[in-house]
Amino acid sequence: MTPPESASSAPDRDESAGEAVHGLTEHLFRHESGRMVSILTGIFGLQRLQLAEDVVQEALIRAMKTWPFYGIPDNPTAWLLRTARNLATDQIRRETNFREKQPDIIAAVEGPAGGITLPRIADDGNEFQDDHLRLMFVCCHPVLPPEVQSALALKTLCGFSPAEIARGFLVSEAAIAKRLTRARRRLQEENIPFEIPPAAELPGRLGGVWQTLYLLFNEGYKASQGEEVVRADLCAEAIRLGTVLASHPAGNHPTTHALLALMLLSAARLPARVDAAGNLLRLEEQDRSRWDRTMIARGLQHLAASAGGTSLSEYHLQAGIAACHSLAASEDATDWPRILKLYDQLLAVNASPVVALNRAVAVARLHGPAAGLQAVAEIPDRERLDDYHLLHAVVGELEHQRGHDEIAAAHFRRALELVETRAERDLLARRLEDCLER
Amino acid sequence: MPPTLPSTAATEYMLLFRTLGWEENLSPQQMQDILDRTLGWFDRLHAEGRLKAAQPLFEEGKIVSGRGGAVVSDGPFAESKETIAGYLIVRGGTLADALAIAQTWPMLEAGANVEVRPVAPECPSFQRILARPLHDAA
Repeated sequence: MTPPESASSAPDRDESAGEAVHGLTEHLFRHESGRMVSILTGIFGLQRLQLAEDVVQEALIRAMKTWPFYGIPDNPTAWLLRTARNLATDQIRRETNFREKQPDIIAAVEGPAGGITLPRIADDGNEFQDDHLRLMFVCCHPVLPPEVQSALALKTLCGFSPAEIARGFLVSEAAIAKRLTRARRRLQEENIPFEIPPAAELPGRLGGVWQTLYLLFNEGYKASQGEEVVRADLCAEAIRLGTVLASHPAGNHPTTHALLALMLLSAARLPARVDAAGNLLRLEEQDRSRWDRTMIARGLQHLAASAGGTSLSEYHLQAGIAACHSLAASEDATDWPRILKLYDQLLAVNASPVVALNRAVAVARLHGPAAGLQAVAEIPDRERLDDYHLLHAVVGELEHQRGHDEIAAAHFRRALELVETRAERDLLARRLEDCLER
Repeated sequence: MPPTLPSTAATEYMLLFRTLGWEENLSPQQMQDILDRTLGWFDRLHAEGRLKAAQPLFEEGKIVSGRGGAVVSDGPFAESKETIAGYLIVRGGTLADALAIAQTWPMLEAGANVEVRPVAPECPSFQRILARPLHDAA
């Protein structure tokens, strides 16, 4: 077996060390993991996805074990990729039958002289981006069920472990492991190609990618489950993958920009969503100076880019709503007429009761609580929301606003029965107290 | 209770780092966090002037045994994945000091273990061999 290539220089340690910054970018291992799995799958084929994941894990383990002795190599990413590639090559050489079955891969592994002259190992940004995108299209392939798609994307593209994915989705680690195994087997059975779909298929396949990224983002964004830290990471990863997609010719589509704008503008508000004690804050209670201005600026840029075509997707409309909030100096200064118009359009595209509930909040802001309650009463399929805590929270809020505190209290109590997270429960309990005190 | 000191007059201690397959299930982020803390741990030892030597060992080794070295196997602990991943020698202090250093090794949190052994002084016969001129040995 080829020993991993070690850092050439002896430890070069500063005597004043102690608070030394070790020079590794935050999340380097996690991000490099996704990059390396993409590149190795490009070399060894999608049939070897598991091998790519395994050797990447092993390369990271070796880095963890040996870098403390030698110091960090001058080019950590090159070290990791070389080590993973060598491990994969060794593994393939050991499989005697493989030689006959996969002559093309052997040809790629062993150059004409029999030595290892792997193509595409150079740190070529474009070539890597292609592999990254190919793997993204594989993870979001329609043969995989949606919950399997997001788990596979988080594992292979984002470098999360099954345990971390499980914490993000509030399911058991075993369930995630099963989803991943099923995904890899399905990809093999269906002989899915490792490619960026041809132009004719691209529009349909992009839809699958958008959906997965949106799902990933929402898992992180919604306050209803999972650990806070993990969820912030999920949002960040969805934005990272969306950025990769938008900057590639195949993914540079107005709707990609709309989705990215929606994610950036929403995530920008995350830092203000809880107070110092961890209490969830309502929009009107949030300190808007804590909104991330850089993210808002990026979001608005992508929103502008999203207008570059004829398409008007749900992502466009939701990004438009998010932009209205981001641009307002206060709750009162918000452009509610515009938000209501966007919700009307959104309902026309997607007649979901949850969208209608959000629309009712906008109606109440614009025309008062009674009009808001009327809008709630008119929600189509409203009975589907009977067990949704936010329906009762909204009704409680509006009844409270128009002075019907007893009715409001009853709704907050119902919401409290249904709510799942501590943060939301605390917020609802506070509102219930407000009703009882008056 | 302080550990009983061996009868040797040791002033150096070897830390043998063992891995037990604990690293298989770590996520990349966890590995980077552990790496970062371990680098800091080495830096502190070095800054304190305690670090004499340190080297990692590659995992792919063999065990030679039997008459004439007839048996060559993949290692006695292949099943439990227990291998020595590296060693480090600290100088100065007592065994208790060396244990205190070992107790702060960041990889312990992930389930690895470390063996601390006092290093005996060089034995007199080895010093004799070293002192002998090279042509005498030939």
